[in-house]
This record gives sequence, C-alpha cells and structure tokens, in this order.
Amino acid sequence: MPEDLQEFARQAREFLGAHAARVAAERAGFRWGEGDDRVAYFGADPPEVEERKLRAARDWQRTRYENGFGWVSGPPEYGGRGLTPVHDLVYDSIESEYDVPDTGTLSVIGLGMIGPTILAHGQQPVKDRYLPAMYRGDVIACQLFSEPEAGSDLASLQTRAVASEAGWILDGQKVWTSVAQHSQIGMALCRTDPDAPKHKGITAFLVDMSAPGVDVRPLRQMSGGCDFNEVFLSGVRVPDDHRLGEVNGGWRVALTTLMNERAAVGSEGSGPVAEALSPERLSALMRATWTWDDRALRRDLSELLADMMATGHLNARAFRRMQAGVAPGPEMSVAKLMYAQNLTRSAHFVSRVLGPRIIADTGEWGTYAWAELLLATPALRILGGTEEIMKNILAERVLGLPKEPGIDTVSPFRALPRSGAGGAP
Amino acid sequence: MNDGKEELDELREAVREFLTAKSPESAVRAAMESGPRHDPAVWDQMARQLRLPGLALPSDYGGDGFGLTELEVVLEEMGAALLCSPFFATVVLAAQALLASADEAACARYLPGIAAGQTIATLAAAEGNASWDPAMVAARAERVKGDGEVGGGWVLSGKKSFVIDGTIADLVLVAARSIAGPSLFAVDRGAPGLHAEPMTTLDPTRAMAVLTFDQVPAVLIGAEGQGGRLMSRVLDLASVALAAEQAGGARRCLEMSAGYARTRFQFGRPIGSFQAVKHKCADMLVRVELAEATAREAARLADEAAAEFPVAAATAHICCSQAYMFAAAENIQVHGGIGFTWEHPAHLYFRRAKSSELLFGGPAVYHERLLDRLGI
Repeated sequence: MPEDLQEFARQAREFLGAHAARVAAERAGFRWGEGDDRVAYFGADPPEVEERKLRAARDWQRTRYENGFGWVSGPPEYGGRGLTPVHDLVYDSIESEYDVPDTGTLSVIGLGMIGPTILAHGQQPVKDRYLPAMYRGDVIACQLFSEPEAGSDLASLQTRAVASEAGWILDGQKVWTSVAQHSQIGMALCRTDPDAPKHKGITAFLVDMSAPGVDVRPLRQMSGGCDFNEVFLSGVRVPDDHRLGEVNGGWRVALTTLMNERAAVGSEGSGPVAEALSPERLSALMRATWTWDDRALRRDLSELLADMMATGHLNARAFRRMQAGVAPGPEMSVAKLMYAQNLTRSAHFVSRVLGPRIIADTGEWGTYAWAELLLATPALRILGGTEEIMKNILAERVLGLPKEPGIDTVSPFRALPRSGAGGAP
Repeated sequence: MNDGKEELDELREAVREFLTAKSPESAVRAAMESGPRHDPAVWDQMARQLRLPGLALPSDYGGDGFGLTELEVVLEEMGAALLCSPFFATVVLAAQALLASADEAACARYLPGIAAGQTIATLAAAEGNASWDPAMVAARAERVKGDGEVGGGWVLSGKKSFVIDGTIADLVLVAARSIAGPSLFAVDRGAPGLHAEPMTTLDPTRAMAVLTFDQVPAVLIGAEGQGGRLMSRVLDLASVALAAEQAGGARRCLEMSAGYARTRFQFGRPIGSFQAVKHKCADMLVRVELAEATAREAARLADEAAAEFPVAAATAHICCSQAYMFAAAENIQVHGGIGFTWEHPAHLYFRRAKSSELLFGGPAVYHERLLDRLGI
C-alpha cells in the first residue's frame, strides 16, 4: 500500500476507534438454538424500528462527514475529501471491521448512484444545494427510473415532461422505487421528445419529493413486506435548473447512474444472510435436522459451497485489483449474477434440508425462519438488471457478440409497438 | 503484488509465444499420434530457452525458486494450447511428491535433473480403481534381507494404473504399502521386474500407462508410513496445477465459441446475435471467470502457506473441473456440425476436459474431499 494510503488508513482507524467498537475478530461462537434466527434479505422491520435505524444511519453519516469520511472521493467544494476511489475502498474495508450503523438507506442509491450523477451532470445551483446536504446525511435521494411499461427496456419509459414558462411539468408513474418514502429528492427520467428514437428523447430531472403532485405508495412484494414504492407524478413542477444534463440527453445521464449501480450490487458478501449461509452454519443445520449423512444433500452442499467460495475469490481478486489501481474487468457483473444464483440455490438447499418444517411453523428455532429468505430470492435474479439483461451485457461488452437487430433504436419512440396494444402496428 | 503483476504478464506472454510456435494444433495432433506422445525437441527447448521445469523448484535444487502462482500461469497456457508434454507428470506430480516428502537426500538426487529438463518423472499413486485414497494402496513394499545387490533396500510388487507418461518416465515415484503403511518409493526406469504398458486413453493428449512391479528394487523416499499424509498434500497441489490447465482450456473454448458466434452467419445474421447463443457464451464466461479466480487464488494461498489452502484447492478442483467440461461441451454446441468433426479441435478439448475432471476420482470423491477439508 502506498504511503499516503497508509496514512489515510491510520486516520480512518483513529476516527473509527474514537467513535465505534471493533467487531469481534471471531464471530461470537455460533450455537444452534441461540440468538436471533431471522434470515432476512429485505428489511421488513416494524415502523418504529425502521425509524430508529434511519435516525442512527443519518447520525452516523453526519459523524463521518464532520470527520472527513462522509465523501472520501468527492470534491472539496461540495464537502468531499478530494481523494481517490481507491481511498473509498480502503475506508469501506476498514469500517467493516467496526460495529457501526448500516447506512444503506442513504448510501446505496443516494450517495452511491445519484450523488455521482448530480456531480457529473447537475447545474451549479443544484450541486451547491444538494451535494453537501446529501453527504451530511440531511437529504436522502431515490431513483425514479423503472415504470410498469419500462422494465428491462428502461429507454421505453413513458413519463412525460413538458416545458412550460414556469419550468417543466411531469406526469406519469414510476415503480420499484426503493427508499422513496424517506427521500427528499428523486432522480426522474422523463420522455421529452416522443418523435425521436427512444434513447434520444429522454431528459433527467431532480424532483422535490415534497412537491405537490408527488404521491408515494408502498408496494407490497411477494415476500410480504413493503421495501419498494410506486411513485405517481401528476402535474409536478420542476424548475429548469433541476434538469440534469442536456434536454433529450438523459440517457447518458442515466448510464452514469446505472454504472454505479452495478458496482454497488455485486459486492454483497457479508451481513446476516452471508453469515447464515456460512459452511459452519449450514453444517450445523444439517446436524440439527439429522440430515448430516444424507449423500445427496452432502453433494448439493459441496456444489453450493464451491460456487459460493468461488464467487468470494472472484470478489476478493477484483477488490485487490481495484486497490492496486487496475480497472475491474467483468468480475463485478459475474459476481452479481452468481450472488443471485448462489442465494437462490442456498434457499432451496436449506428447504430440502428442512423438509416440511419450512411449509408450516413448528415453533422450532432456526427452521421456519428460512421462509423469509426463500420468498425473497426470486427478486435477486430480477433487481438491478435481470439475469437475461446481465448476460446480454456480458456477451456484448466482454465477448464482443453483436446486438440483436431491431427497429426500436432507430424508429421514433411514438411508432414502437407497446404491450397490450395488439402487437405490431 | 503490484510489481508481481507485470512479471506474470511477461511470463504469460513468453510462454504463449513459445506455445504458439511449438504447439499449434498440427503439432498437438502429430504428438498425440506419436509413440512417446510428446515432442522431445520441444521438451528440451522448454528447459533450455524458458527454464520452465525449474521455474517453481527451490534454488537449492537447481530451480529458479518461484511459486505456484508463476507455475499457474505456465499451466494455464499449456492447457489452452493442449500441449502434449510430460511437464505435468514431471514438474507437478513427481517434483511435488519429492518436495512433500521432505527427504533432502532424495531431493538433491532427483530435483536438479528435473529442473534441468534432463529427467522425465512421474508419480504412480492410483491403482485399478483410480483412487488416490491411501487406504486403497495395495502395491506391496518389502525390505530385502542380506547384503546382495539390493540388500538393505526395498522391492516392490503390484500394479499401478493411470500412470501419466508412465512409459517414458526415467524416474517413477510409487506409493506402496509396507508394514508401517503407505510409503513413497523411487524406481528407475529399466529396473528389473518393471513393466510399462500404454493404456488406451479417452484423451490422446495425455499418455497413461499400467505399470507392473515384480520384485522391483526401490529406494524409500521420506519416512516409512508417511505416504498417506504425503498423497493428500500432493493431491491438493496437483489439483491446483490441474485446475490451472483446466481454466486455460476452458478460456480457450470460450474464445473459440465467441469467435465463431461473431463470424458464423445463419438466417442472415451472426449467430452470436441470437440470445440463445449469446447467453450460452455468457454462461461460459461466468464459469471461466470463476474457474480462473479459484485456480489463481488457490495458488496464491499455497505460496503464502495459508491455512485456507486445502479448502481453496478442493474448491478450485471442483469449479475448474465443472467449468472446463461445461465450456468444452457448449463449445461443440455453439459450433454445430463442424464442431463434431475429427478435423475440428473441439473434440480434443472435450476429451481433455473429461479426462481432467475424472483424473483424481471426479465428483464421486471431490465433493466429499471439499467437505472433509472444511471439517464438515
């Protein structure tokens, strides 16, 4: 590690040492039947707990910010530290050794994706007003991208933005919006020229989520909780200085955001779910259920652990490359695909081990609790880019395979066939 | 590791250049149809020009003192080129068995010849059932009484199968059972009572033989009865070395498929523009990336003598075996009919992939090995 990084790491440890306790080096010795047996991928906390966690997250982000660790790679004029993305990685890896509040609600989308987008494409007043406030933990941002008719084909979005004398007027519906209920601002992609081909008639805006006409409704997902929202926009006014990038140049802006998304999603290798799926815990589960010597299950377990450890190795190597300043290859996209598959296979493996104990709750510790993970796993192969889209990207960008020929990138958006409109025009 | 990175790239480039010149498909086909199943001139050049046999051997024994990380790079390239060579048997199986025995006299006697490319060597571990389980070693070792020509030494009796390059090896290391249990012995080619018979192999690029021992004079390597521990250590290292070959071969299959999918037109467009083909290639890419990561990470952990090495080795063996078999089979599918012809190299990779997957016992044992190394 170069000298300046070492000095930076020392400062980070000093800061964390003063504000947080270290995580015990060994996981507090796991014992079957003791402690919390929840294996939750999604939050699903009761409202008062969620509220408390959010407050802790904001407080911790403010503490980071006030001590120079709130936005390590951000420019100083907006409250950043002016260091490199490698410093970010170093800080994150050091912080993971300490017991600090989870700031995911603020950081995954707002600080991780929207912040860099505002920095790259925002106008001066918006950068001044929101960037320091976001990284100080005061402003939470959400991403108003997906629509009921624009999932994998995001560029076919239909929410309209029309220019008026008082700025822009937005009308439409967004869906699968995480953290919208906590957000002060949202980044919305809108159709501004339906006569242009679909990628060339989109404009990006920053929307005040408390503006009249913004309606956030919780969306209940198949696992039972409400971790996403629908956001209805009806005649919402947005000043022109809240436009990100050029008029009809929104696709470029969206790509900035999405690039940061893929980097964020692939890196999940820790936390309670990963812990529950450790070799130690899975073998404890097999002992507790007397399936210990079942040959078929043992083989399944080995196949699963081999792939999980391989994914871990891939992540570790990508991380070391980035720390050494080498641009990451396809590892992150591969890791994202594998993470979804590994978790899905894990949940089904565990359900084979548990048998009927996962279809009805016997009250036994650590059994029916797995239902929560099982019901969350279908989301993993969809969110952040479906498996199918991820494979297209890998094949086209890494292997150089040609795109599927089609009319959708050259025809005017208005002329494209839509779902439910009877197919071809 | 920053500095090491560039050195590895240079090494890879040098080996790739050498193999492009010396082991193109035509040379692979010529070697696999020849008697010794390799080209002795290439073996000689590999030692003289690139010093590859000694690359990862200790400098005390005439090597250059690099680690498994560097050897891994060489083996990936050899696997990609399907090089027909006694390199794996000599440098990986035999040399690692000697090093694992910690028998300094034996290392001093044999390793310099291996490092210089003068000695071809192999390890005869498995018997009729192909198992590497020390408990399955049936070949017998007996101490010779008296002081005749072999007095005070040992003689071996029994039969070993699947011995890689067993007909051309100058030195054969043999796992045989004495009263103290499985132990390692050295036998010279030409020793009386040793008979080597080539086996018909699924993979023509890797020669195997049946060796029969009838009271063959042998030298004990390391301590008597330590063969079980030694076989386990050698198997971990050999799995990682094999994983490198497999990852290299799988990467080459992926490149062949992607190249063909970009240029083969049907229905008026490149077949790679169809998602059914595109996703097949993406699936291969995913498996190849994982395979490389496991093989390289295991090699790194071996060089650091990390406690996680045995688990990483077992992981690499599983992931690389699966990745190579998958990539080799899908490669034929992407190529369609042309991929099923004798003239196309796809079947050579298919054969190597299947043979490598099962060389050390295959899924029947490698899953339990991983669980064992994890303590499950």
